[in-house]
Amino acid sequence: MKTIIAKYGTAITGLVILVVLILFARNFASSANMLNVLKNTSFLTILAVGFTFALITSELDLSFANIASLAAVVTGGMIYSGIAWPLAALAGLAVGLVAGYVNGLVVTVAKVPSLIATLGTASIAGGLAFMLTGGVAFVGRWDPVFLSLARGKVGPVPVLIFFMAAVVIAGWFVSRKTPLGVHMLATGEATEAAHRAGIATRRMKRIGLTLSGLAAGIAAVLLVASLSSAAPQMAGDYLLNAIAAVLLGMTMFEPGRPNIAGTFVGALIISVLDNGLVLLGAPYYLQDIMLGLIVIGSVSVSASVLKKAAFSV
Amino acid sequence: MTLKHLLAAGALALAGAHATTADAFELGIVAFQMSAETHARVANAAEAAAKEKGWDVTVLNSNGALPTHAEQIENLVQRGVDAIILAMSKPVQFDAQMEAVSDAGIPLITVMSGSSPYALFDIQVNEYAVGAEAALYLLGQLNYEGKILTQRFESNVGTRIRGKVLDVVLSENTAVEEVGSHSMARTQSWQDDVRNGMSALILQNAGNFDGIWASFDGQAFIIDDLLAEQGMSKGDVVLVSVDGGKETFRRIASPDSMLMASVAIPFEAMGAAAVEAIDRIAVGGEPVDAVASGPYLYMNAVLVDQSNVDEFTE
Repeated sequence: MKTIIAKYGTAITGLVILVVLILFARNFASSANMLNVLKNTSFLTILAVGFTFALITSELDLSFANIASLAAVVTGGMIYSGIAWPLAALAGLAVGLVAGYVNGLVVTVAKVPSLIATLGTASIAGGLAFMLTGGVAFVGRWDPVFLSLARGKVGPVPVLIFFMAAVVIAGWFVSRKTPLGVHMLATGEATEAAHRAGIATRRMKRIGLTLSGLAAGIAAVLLVASLSSAAPQMAGDYLLNAIAAVLLGMTMFEPGRPNIAGTFVGALIISVLDNGLVLLGAPYYLQDIMLGLIVIGSVSVSASVLKKAAFSV
Repeated sequence: MTLKHLLAAGALALAGAHATTADAFELGIVAFQMSAETHARVANAAEAAAKEKGWDVTVLNSNGALPTHAEQIENLVQRGVDAIILAMSKPVQFDAQMEAVSDAGIPLITVMSGSSPYALFDIQVNEYAVGAEAALYLLGQLNYEGKILTQRFESNVGTRIRGKVLDVVLSENTAVEEVGSHSMARTQSWQDDVRNGMSALILQNAGNFDGIWASFDGQAFIIDDLLAEQGMSKGDVVLVSVDGGKETFRRIASPDSMLMASVAIPFEAMGAAAVEAIDRIAVGGEPVDAVASGPYLYMNAVLVDQSNVDEFTE
């Protein structure tokens, strides 16, 4: 029983919140709202899955939100300049990928602790985003085909949900079912032992941070399509929420260990709370308070069972 | 207390938060960034006006984040509110969300946002006139001769128009030279941005400028404090801006402040007007044309300086 509570306690509590909202929040349980919640979880989930990969290798990536903003600005700027959107989208993905790889190099080659390294790259990415935009968002009514990447629907289901599902499934598969995932996990759990066992731990850390950057690129392209614009800080608000989602995820399924399934449920809990509070007519500041409580609570629970030093850098 | 206890307590708090009046008209208000005083003034005034009518009101703050703003509009649609007011929104970016509001049959009024085909109308002041008043007042105080610094903000349609109008005025009055300009870029940490940018400009041009133009009062307050730190006193430099409000009027009246004038935009009246318009259209059934003709409902802005500030401080 104790094991079940340790593994699934947070998810069960999430279910309790769900039931409360179904009972008290008008329209919460409608299919349209459920799809709305899932759609609004997608950006957060994609970014949080990337952060999870970095954390699996025991590295922190505090740059993903600014990298996503930079990738968004590059994508939006190219479309704004008349460049074909597929090229612009590829450029956005490339920005995320390269920025993530640079993070990996700085951490594994220059030996800068990831907390410091990614704070540095976050600052650089933020600066570049402002340099490219001059602080003014690229805005326009862009190619509907591009916008349909985020605004489109398959039947009643928003396309964004499929993107999110693809990222979660791919992330789960890579982390749980491939040798790469096992090596990354081993690197994060016990770097020295993994190294002695012949695992290329520095490469694993680079891959973890690169995947985080790639996820930022994916989220960025979809954000630009969703909002038909690109602003230099457009993904900034996701930093705290994505970290909170991952930390929440670490309290369930595999307590103390970053895991994709937990991250997805963590992101879902945050989105359900966001949505539920609005549907309940709760004051806007309650959302921030609840998020803060979740972060503190999840860190305290995670830290108590965490075996490695990711948070003590 | 474990996380599970915390979440369980949260769930109970959520249940407790559910306290709407059955059958009351429900209004959703979304302010783009409540930390900006003007956004909060619109939202708070609209909330107060709606509550006075006995309506249920949900006020949301997007914290200056585009994705949050989009999600909040979508969540209000799902809540099934009877009407929505958006303060300082961005119609192009939130085209899809505003269309969803329209498709759901929910009347939407925006304030200081720009026009949208999916909104009934946008409540605005004539920013071109506001910009001209502020620019001409500044130049008038300088006798159309001298050097100025400018603090701009290009990401908001209103402040951008004010800047463009200033440029037109300067192009026709070439004896006034813009010797330095800083453009505020960051919206979430804008106070730091303005402080850093303008303190550098003020130091760089020390003793070499006669006036400062700021695109809105929040910037002007920071500049005013920077000038005071430099030991300046009223009249040394002419500081002019736009927005109005209690703090603005206090500074205009104060002998210690460099702020000489501001074009006061009636934010509270705009919030109240949005509620009144919804009452007439959505509750009273009046046609939209009876309330506003075209995509804008214009309200008057007034230039406030030392000659008339007493009318606003009383």
